[in-house]
This record gives sequence, structure tokens and C-alpha cells, in this order.
Amino acid sequence: MKRWVFVILSLLVTFSLFGVTLKVLMEDVPETHIIKALLPEFEAKTGIKVEFEIVQYMDMHAKLVPQLMSPNCQYDLLEVDNYWAGEFPAAGWLEPLEKYVKRDNFDISVYLPSMLDMVGYYNGKLYMIPMYNYAMGLIYRKDVLENEELRKKYREQYGKELTVPRTLEEYVQICEFIQANTDLYGSAMQAQRGDPIVMEWSNYLFALGGDYYDEKWHPCINDEKGIKATELYIRVLKNAAPPGALSFNLDDAFRVMAQGKAFSMISYNWMVAQLEDPKKSKVAGKVALAPMPGGIGLNGGWGWAIPKNSQHKEEAWEFIKWVESPEIAKRRALMGGAPTRFDVFTDEEVVKKYPWYPKVMWLLMYAKHVPEFQYSAQMIEVVGRELSLAASGKKSIKDALDTAAKELERLSKLAGLWKK
Amino acid sequence: MLKRRHSLKQSEKFTGWMFMIPSLAVMAAVVAVPLLFSLIVSFYGYTFVNPTFNVFLGFGNYRTALSDPYFWHSLWVTVKFVVFVVSIEFTLGFIIALMLNRKIRFKRVYYTILTLPMVMSPVAVGLIWKMLLHPDLGVLNYFLGLIGIGPINWLADSTTAFWSVLMVDIWQQISFMILLLLAGLVSLPKEPYEAATIDGANEFQKLFYITIPLMRPVMVAAIIIRTIFAFRTFDLIYVLTRGGPGVSTEVLSYFIYRKTFMGLNLAEASATSYVLLGVVMFFVVIAFKVIYKKGEIS
Repeated sequence: MKRWVFVILSLLVTFSLFGVTLKVLMEDVPETHIIKALLPEFEAKTGIKVEFEIVQYMDMHAKLVPQLMSPNCQYDLLEVDNYWAGEFPAAGWLEPLEKYVKRDNFDISVYLPSMLDMVGYYNGKLYMIPMYNYAMGLIYRKDVLENEELRKKYREQYGKELTVPRTLEEYVQICEFIQANTDLYGSAMQAQRGDPIVMEWSNYLFALGGDYYDEKWHPCINDEKGIKATELYIRVLKNAAPPGALSFNLDDAFRVMAQGKAFSMISYNWMVAQLEDPKKSKVAGKVALAPMPGGIGLNGGWGWAIPKNSQHKEEAWEFIKWVESPEIAKRRALMGGAPTRFDVFTDEEVVKKYPWYPKVMWLLMYAKHVPEFQYSAQMIEVVGRELSLAASGKKSIKDALDTAAKELERLSKLAGLWKK
Repeated sequence: MLKRRHSLKQSEKFTGWMFMIPSLAVMAAVVAVPLLFSLIVSFYGYTFVNPTFNVFLGFGNYRTALSDPYFWHSLWVTVKFVVFVVSIEFTLGFIIALMLNRKIRFKRVYYTILTLPMVMSPVAVGLIWKMLLHPDLGVLNYFLGLIGIGPINWLADSTTAFWSVLMVDIWQQISFMILLLLAGLVSLPKEPYEAATIDGANEFQKLFYITIPLMRPVMVAAIIIRTIFAFRTFDLIYVLTRGGPGVSTEVLSYFIYRKTFMGLNLAEASATSYVLLGVVMFFVVIAFKVIYKKGEIS
């Protein structure tokens, strides 16, 4: 009798382990499809099935929030964008991962500190494991900078060489120069209201050493650096961008660049791989990546996390361990993924296939991310609205940034972060 | 005898109710409950980050909503949008319906073409038009360029953007008007027209003295339904402009969406939604009053 109970019990345990299906909401980007292609291996190894629900970015937040608030989350595993990396832990929706990391000796020292800071820790506690990066940088046309005629003209006009810009002012100047002297646009901008304009503009702000908040969480978006960044941003928008840039998002900007109609774009580093693909772009072989002029650009990325109300936490952690293991992380990178770890960035095979990856690592090490707190998403909406108002000439730059600062102060006070 | 008929009627009523209850229950669950919930929420400090009913604010959320200048701006944008969209769609739709309500060839072909935009999802329509309206790579500017009209900045100029969105909405939604009005026209009785022809009335007299008066109920229905839908326009704005540039195309539904899913402030968003509901009701009542003259409503 006892034996039978044991057999039945062990059968039950095996079945329950084998029967588990992890549901994950994923964004429709190359990285997701890369991981999806590797899923059968995980299933064969552990018997845990993984189901990806793949949707557009704009639908994700609205889908996740109700699930995270309900007693049982439909998703057992999450990918968390850095915009939400403050909101989700602050609301108490994520499972702290320290105990899993310690128990299984999971090595987090291989991750870039900027990535761990952005999509790893929140308030000193580990909630996420960095998944992939989308740090921004300058993507430019090598062939344009090598054009002898242009170089000569530039030398005559400004008394210096036409090279990859090192400061923001220089970048603006070069963009204006190229738009005036060729049939190319200086910069394929993404100035649509909302996150597109905020992301691009943040590069200008960080490049000048500006920021959203100071260390006491008082908004400093409207100080002289913020105003100067916005002035330069609008100058490029007016003098050196495609006419419709004020309604462009990343795809629209990409199309202009891929059609060979623009000299440069401030964009996500993974765009380089897309622009180098002759099937998608007319400028394959002619583009290169450089750090944001001024050195510091905007960091972005996603992290894996387990919802607190997940029903399969152990299995979810099992998956994270597998997908972030050195072999799989490397294979993802070789398939075109965007890594987050030192060892993958400097791997011989990876560098051979993607020679610009060490540069991406450099970008990541110095890049800064937007402030992460409960109201990051709202902060971005507010700043996006005010920037768009200033860029379309409906408000002065000072007025727009002052309004944004006022709302930002309200948000940091609301979150309890504002200090005297 | 009388009593039996009475009870028969009652049992009929009872059966009727029995048939109704399932659908009524579903309706209550998906319409009444959320409405009531959002009404309650709108009086509390309920946010997604702190989803509790601990803080009672009374009309605080309504006050915050009404004191926001961006709220008034988007209300103005919405009203402007609705008035233009409904009046243009109605006028054009009525003209096209009249043109189709004759003996012409290829009627079915026209019907099919006209229904196509309506069966497409607004998001798909938005994405297609975004490509067509692209200032550099768009087809529209290309053709305009061929006849010597300079590139138009369709979506990125704060005055043009409003009209571009309006145009796309009309393109998509006008078929609804046409079909509804056409259905009304087809079902009109033939006799008044015959009598009028015998009396020697011309086409315009027939239109103004027979068609329009007889069509009034259908017209009212069409205008009211379209007005309600137009107030809710969201997808197109989301895809085409996200309310921009600046706030020039920010309609109230997008404003509320931002408050809910970006601001996570369900309470304030609910309060704003109730204000929107009030505005829609106001317009619908006005529409009823204007179009139905005295006494006709009964």
C-alpha cells in the first residue's frame, strides 16, 4: 500500500513538472524571435513548455498591468522594459530574485554594471536579470564623411576637418552643413510626440551633462543645460531633418535612413544590423556606429522578471537560468541578438561576426537611462507633450520645460522621492 | 374568461423575461458593472500603483480634471473634430447615397468598393495612411509633386495634422453613412414620388419635399450613431499622430487613455470619462431637439 502511494505521488510530481507551460508576453522584435527559435531545446531539456504571446510594444503595458494586479497572473514570466523597471517593483508586482541567485550560484558579475543598474536592481534589491540592450548612439554614413569635395568645402567654411562629431554642437553643425550642401537630410529624426521624441531628445540632454532630476529628486530639466539641449534639438529639427520628422517614430526614421536619404540618425544600436542588411536597406556597407556626440547617450534595455503572483516561479527561474546561460547568451548574440554581458560582447566569434559590438559595449558602459520610479511612464508622456509643443512652435522652450518641470516635481513628490 | 386571458398574458410576460435574463445578465456584467465601478472609482484616490479605496476625494478628481488646461484643450479638439467629421460625412454620404439610389450599372461594384474601408481595422487604416502621407516617401506627395504642388507636411504641422486626421477618418467612416442612408432611401415608399411626378414636381422639389422629410428618422439615427462613434475616435489618432504635434490632435479619448495607462491614475481618468459621457449626452440631446421638431418625437 505504501509503495503504491509513493509511486502515485512520484508520478504526480513528474507529471506536474512535465505538464507546466510557461506563458510569456513578448515584444515583437528580433530578440524575441531569436529566443523563440531556441525554445525547443529548453523544452527537450527540462520538459517545461514555453509559450510566447508576441505583441507590439504599445500594447504591452496595458496588457500587463491588469494581470499583475489580479490574484493570479496569466503570465508566469515577464520581460520588463526599463520604463517600467521602477513602476513594477515599486508597486510590489515582482518577485525579488536574490534568493534564487544565491541558491543556484547564478553569476551576475558578468553583466555590465549599467545594465544591472537599469534592468536589474531597484532600490538596491535585485528584481530583474538583464535580457537585451537598446542603448542609443550615432549612426552615420561613412561614405558621406569621406567625400573629398564635401571635406574641402567644410574645411573652407569652418577651418577644420569633417570627421565624426565629438561634441553635440559639432554634430548639429555637421548636420546643417550636409543638409545645405547635399541632397541628403542631416539627421533622420524621430520627433513624434510621446516616447519617440523623449528618447531622442534625452541623448541631447545627457550629451550636454543635463538630467531630468538632481540627486534630491528636484527636477532640473529646465536648467541651462536642458534649455540648450532643447534649442539644439529644435535647431536640427528645423534645419537638418526631413520635413515630417515631427510625426516620425523609429520606423519612419529608419525608412528615411534605409532609403539613403539621410546622413545620420541618433538611434538604437541594433539598427546598424538592420541597415547593414542589403534586403532592407540601400545603404548596406556604408553605415557605422559611434557614441553619441558628447559621449553619453541614452541607455535602454529589457530585463527578465518573475511576477509575484506567478504560479510557476521555479519553472520561470529555470527558464531564466537557461536563457541567460553563457552558451545560450552567446548563441543569441551570434544570431543577431543584443547582449548585456561582458563575456558575450568580447567573445571572439561574436566580435568576428559583428565587428561593431565592442563599440556597443563602450556605448552601454557610459550610457545613462531615464529616471526609474513609479511614474516613469507618466514622466515620459509629460516631457513628450511639452517637447512636441516647443518643437511645433506652440510654446517657447522655456515655457515648455518649466511646465514639464512643474509636473515632474509633482510626480517625484507623489512617489515620495522628493527630498528637502 | 377575462381572468384567463390576463394570466395568459402574464405567463407570456414571464416567458419573455426568462428569455431576456441571460442576455440582460451579460449586459449588466459587461456594461453596467464597469460603468458603476468607474463611477465609484472616480470619487476615490484609486491608482494602479495603489489600488485601494482608502482615500475618499469626493469631487476632487473632477475638480483636478476640470482645472487642467490640457483637458479643456482636448475637449475643444474633440468637439471640433466631431462637428467637422459628422457634418462632412453626412453631407457627402447623403449625396453619394442619392447617386447610388438610381438605376445605374455596376452598382454592386460600387457597393463593394465603398464597404471596403469600413471592414478594415482602424489601426491598419492608420498605418496605411501614415505611409501614404509620408512627406518624403509617400505616394500622395509624389503625385502632388507631379502637378507642381510642393510637398505638404501632412502630419507634422500643427494645423495640417488635424485636417489630415479628419480626412483619413472621413475616408474610412463615410461608407457607414452611405450604407445607412442608402438603406433608408431604398425602403422609402414609391407612391408619393408617383403622385408628385403626376403633379409635375421636378427632381429638386421631390428631394426637398418628399425625400428629406421622409428620411428624417434615418438621418437622425445616422447622425447620432456617428456622433457617438466620433467622440470615441482613438485608434486613428494613436497610430497617426499620438495627439501631436504638440497637443493639436489630442482628442479626449486619447487624453483619457494617457491618464489611465501612462499616468496609472484610474480615478482621475474615470472622472474625465464621466465628463466626456456628459458632453456626449449633451450633444445627443441637442441633436434630438434640433432634428425632431415639436410633437414629432412622440
